[in-house]
Amino acid sequence: MAQFDALFQPLKINQLTIRNRVVSTAHAEVYATEGGMTTERYVKYYEEKAKGGVGLSICGGSSVVSIDSPQDWWKSVNLSTDRIIPHFQNLADAVHKHGGKIMIQITHMGRRSRWDGGNWSTLVSPSGIREPVHRATCKTIEVEEMQRIVGDYAKAAGRAKAGGLDGIELSAVHQHLIDQFWSPRVNQRDDEYGGSFENRMRFGMEVLHAIREEVGRDFAVGLRICGDEFHPDGLNHDDMKQVAAYYDATGLLDFFSVIGSGCDTHNTLANVIPNMSYPPEPFLHLAAGIKEVVNVPVMHAQNIKDPNQAQRILEAGYVDFVGMTRAHIADPHLIAKIKLNQIDQIKQCVGANYCIDRQYQGLDVLCIQNAATSRESTMPHIIEKTEGKVRKVVIVGGGPAGMEAARVCAERGHDVTLIEKNPELGGQITIASKAPQRDQIAGITRWFALELDRLGIDLRLNTAADEVMIRDLNADVVILAVGGQPFLAQNPHWGQEEGLVVSTWDILSGKVAPGKNVLVYDTICEFSGLSAADFLAQNGSLVEMVTDDIKPGAAVGGTTFPTYYRSLYEKDVIMSSDLILEKVYREGDKLVAVLENEYTGQQEERVVDQVVIENGVRPDEEIYLQLKSDSRNKGQIDIEALYAALPQPILSEEGEGYILYRIGDCVSQRNTHAAIYDALRLCKDF
Amino acid sequence: MSSSEFLSHFLFTLISFALLLTLVGAVKRMLLWSQGQSSTIHWLGLLQIPRRYLVDLHHVVARDKYMSNTHVATAGGFVLSSILIILLYVFQLTLQILTWALLGSSLLMFIGSIFVMLRRRNPPPNLSLGKWQRLPKSLMVFSLSFFILTLPATGILPSDTGGWLLALLLVAGIIWGIGEMFCGMTWGGPMKHAFAGALHLGLHRRQERFGGQSTGLKAIDLSSKKLGVEKPIDFKWNQLLSFDACVECGRCENNCPAFAAGQPLNPKKLIQDMVIGMAGGDDAKFAGSPYPGIKVGTHKGGAIIPIVNVLVESETLWSCTTCRACVDACPMMIEHVDAIVDMRRFETMEKGQTPGKGSEILENLSATDNPNGFAPSTRMNWAADQNLTVFGHNEKKQQVTQADVLLWVGDAAFDMRNQRTLRAMIKLLRAAKVDFAVLGDAECDSGDLARRLGDEATFQRLANSNISTMNKYSFNTIVTADPHAFHCIKNEYGEFGGNYNVMHHTGFFAELVSQQKIKLDNSKELALTYHDPCYLGRYNGEYDAPRFLLESMGVKIKEMERSKSTARCCGGGGGAPVTDIPGKQRIPDMRMADVIETKAEIVAVACPGCSAMLEGVVEPRPEVKDIAELMLDALIEDTGEDMVGAQV
Repeated sequence: MAQFDALFQPLKINQLTIRNRVVSTAHAEVYATEGGMTTERYVKYYEEKAKGGVGLSICGGSSVVSIDSPQDWWKSVNLSTDRIIPHFQNLADAVHKHGGKIMIQITHMGRRSRWDGGNWSTLVSPSGIREPVHRATCKTIEVEEMQRIVGDYAKAAGRAKAGGLDGIELSAVHQHLIDQFWSPRVNQRDDEYGGSFENRMRFGMEVLHAIREEVGRDFAVGLRICGDEFHPDGLNHDDMKQVAAYYDATGLLDFFSVIGSGCDTHNTLANVIPNMSYPPEPFLHLAAGIKEVVNVPVMHAQNIKDPNQAQRILEAGYVDFVGMTRAHIADPHLIAKIKLNQIDQIKQCVGANYCIDRQYQGLDVLCIQNAATSRESTMPHIIEKTEGKVRKVVIVGGGPAGMEAARVCAERGHDVTLIEKNPELGGQITIASKAPQRDQIAGITRWFALELDRLGIDLRLNTAADEVMIRDLNADVVILAVGGQPFLAQNPHWGQEEGLVVSTWDILSGKVAPGKNVLVYDTICEFSGLSAADFLAQNGSLVEMVTDDIKPGAAVGGTTFPTYYRSLYEKDVIMSSDLILEKVYREGDKLVAVLENEYTGQQEERVVDQVVIENGVRPDEEIYLQLKSDSRNKGQIDIEALYAALPQPILSEEGEGYILYRIGDCVSQRNTHAAIYDALRLCKDF
Repeated sequence: MSSSEFLSHFLFTLISFALLLTLVGAVKRMLLWSQGQSSTIHWLGLLQIPRRYLVDLHHVVARDKYMSNTHVATAGGFVLSSILIILLYVFQLTLQILTWALLGSSLLMFIGSIFVMLRRRNPPPNLSLGKWQRLPKSLMVFSLSFFILTLPATGILPSDTGGWLLALLLVAGIIWGIGEMFCGMTWGGPMKHAFAGALHLGLHRRQERFGGQSTGLKAIDLSSKKLGVEKPIDFKWNQLLSFDACVECGRCENNCPAFAAGQPLNPKKLIQDMVIGMAGGDDAKFAGSPYPGIKVGTHKGGAIIPIVNVLVESETLWSCTTCRACVDACPMMIEHVDAIVDMRRFETMEKGQTPGKGSEILENLSATDNPNGFAPSTRMNWAADQNLTVFGHNEKKQQVTQADVLLWVGDAAFDMRNQRTLRAMIKLLRAAKVDFAVLGDAECDSGDLARRLGDEATFQRLANSNISTMNKYSFNTIVTADPHAFHCIKNEYGEFGGNYNVMHHTGFFAELVSQQKIKLDNSKELALTYHDPCYLGRYNGEYDAPRFLLESMGVKIKEMERSKSTARCCGGGGGAPVTDIPGKQRIPDMRMADVIETKAEIVAVACPGCSAMLEGVVEPRPEVKDIAELMLDALIEDTGEDMVGAQV
């Protein structure tokens, strides 16, 4: 068998031939729409995957069938109205044009939503038990409502079919209404919909039969289930095998999609979209267990990111389709690159979960490392060579902004020099990757390094650029992406000048050895503070993690803070919130940290060996200020053009000397995505 | 008796005797050839000898201008002199004009022989030494002797000039000259090439190659007692004759990719070994380049002694890529590839000794109809998203029984690299609105590989299977991107009743481009060279269509030194990648070095085998792109109409 043969065996789902075994499984995109109607942005996002060769996309995670299943929180697709049908036709045409197939996930979310918006619906659930993740209170569903919702499912399926989509996937995973009925954890009914196995299955069976009645036998209908809820009072793997076999026995289903883990607690939610702390395909065994008991194809997505991994899974026959969903968010051309023998050019998902963590905040799904994803209307995935003049571009700083700027400029065909003072590329990514369970973040750098090598830029490592050096390079465009330094000087009482405190960078980079008894003070509450605390604890320090925010890591998303918390609690890290670090002073060979409760003003002290502070990044502006006045544009980005994804006007003007831009944290601290996005949108038209 | 009278009488006797001796030798030589198997005797071909000599043979010789002029003078002078000598001294015609003519012809020959001599002062390694070093001297002695002999007869010098001393010297010279030039022709001297070569031109096994093309292998009867060639006598008689025609010029050696790669094959030595086999003896006197890595003088043979591993090592046979560079370069029209495949047939079908992965590949072909053993039902997997029309009788599946074009997919179907070419072709065919269909899972491997690996039985089975499949449908043209399938179907299926109009995709697309049915952006400024596939170029003479297509895109091709008919093989033909005989370097690496020499950034190919071999060269190296892929990049599409089917 050739290297990736198993991926490229077409397989039928009902009447559909899926061209390969790779699926982009359903996820909420959060850019459907006004009123749940798919937009151009939505269509282009899926068209790009089809163009890139994915076999099947299942769009619209948690697309609703009923008006009392709120959709506007996550801007999911609304199948409760016929208005959706022409939108589906656009979507289907765009995907079919490239030989792909597209289905949609449909659901009623029951209690797993929020009621405080939209129609201000009263949420429904089999036994009215509150859902903790969304803080969702709900009523006990009545039989009349069930009948209405069953009808809604059928009509929604009919709309998907009428719109030319290739099939539907019913969501009975993530504790949506169907599996709320299944799970004794939340179904405590004593009528014909609760109690016995058959009774708990009843609602889902009614949905399935109603759908079949509506769409006929030839339309593809699948069911997404979990393989084990991982709750002692929930459904375990054997239960789920029983459920799957029961539904499969109807002969009405065409495929199963299996996810490991339930997700109605923060901790289980983190399992569902495993971040970089998880091993590859952590729940494959659960999907394989389901495959044992059903007679139709089984798909499984969870941490399958690499073509070799996908091949291995398929070749061994664990499942029939691999979901490579985040893998396609990172690189929608993944399949094309396999086929073009450009494996090294695949931008591999690193499991940073920027995408899903945004989604859970109701923000549009974006990729930490690929700024073109879901911006297909304005941002290119494939950078075309310029037809205009070839410019000499000098970029200073090899962090994410600098690397992306260098890549884009090199793809445009410009003469690119990238100067980095450190011996390796990566910037803050390199520091971030030193933390326990965070090493995979370095995959972002790895890809850039390979690309920059392939593109053959003039890369000068171990080189600290200064004003003279940059001027001597006689560039047409100078891009500064030099980042900044930990901002420990903000409060002079912290004693940075006296050397009383160190930064998280000092700790993670290994510049400063971990102390014995350490206080980590994190006002930022992103990854760096948690990473430093985890790193210290891992290396034997006794750590207290203090923040003035509402909780440590408050800004870290819903699928990632749980894995940090698991790690920190396990290592006995103390987590304290609402405390401001006022002052640090030395007492003998110890340090005393003075903390003040934000709400009471009461002060307390900690005697420690080391104080580590995370207070963000202070931009490094020195070179910028030296070069600014002589530059053609005085260092200014035309933000009207930038935001409109148009070329910077000065590029088309004649002029002597250099144009100067700065991007990334050397302007103001934001994040990796922001740095890469700015680099892409600025440089794509050079 | 004066010295001149003596000479005149003596010469009559001497030349008559020499002619008799030559005749005896000729009969002996013919007896050697007649040991071979029967084959049609094309008597009429004998009448064509002068034309074939002057046109076909000279066409090849003329690729080396120096040698061509030298040979015209030497051989022309010799042939003319010989006729005149016989007229003057045997038939005793004493016409003065003949004397003058002999003076002229011997002078011409002498001048030619000076150039032969000059070339052999520092002979290039492709030339054989030994007796061949003697030849220029013999030529000079012969021509000079007769020139001087003739001088008095013309009256330029008085008769009896030089007296007895000169007479004796002339006698000695003439004995030497005639011995070499007449008797040597049939007694195994260097001049054997003239005698056997002339007859070979007339009685050639492939009469059709004169004034035309004949490159398809000849079928064998699978019910015969012995399959293939085991011993020299198993060759056809006219193949044995052809071996005797070899002039050991080494042009084959210069063009053989396996030899250049240091694999144990030298086509010249192979032909000389066949001569040894036919006549009996050992190879100790062979004075040319050895098979790389194999010492000369360690092998012997005889007409009824098995050849392989006695006279010729099996590695020698299996090093050949069947690229036909040797055949194309051979001024004596010898068919090296036929001989090699004949011997491979015995090795494979009678002995089961196909080396390397050969036997596995052949087993795969038997079991799955494709060389790499993919499940036959997966043949169309690559096109799952292409919505191709398939030939067949199942209307429910929208199958058709007729189409303008049958697109022959070939084994590229199973190879991700070459699927790119197929997808590009499909898009181009659709852009040109060509009505085409494929055979789908019913297509089998063309049989090219099986046949070149000596498995004629599998080839015939595959050919018959494909022919019976294709004969169920009606179509006008078969189009394929694979020159090997193209060659097989076009030139080798005929013997089994499959006669089709077959086109390589470059030829077909060239027509579409000239008819404006495909419009190409003609401003592609690519640093590009083109690699001629052996089975498209040398086998089928197609050098222009691919170049026309590239030029239609505005490309100025940076031609490699070895291009068109002298293009170097990529190493992928004849099952060579499968038998994988080690050498000092790899053929594709050498070919890529040819590419790099042109400073091209892209090497355009027109064969899935070539793309696989050249892409197998380690990077950094120029990009390898099939012409269809390049065309797709340059395709100007009619806007407003969406193409169906994925591009990647």
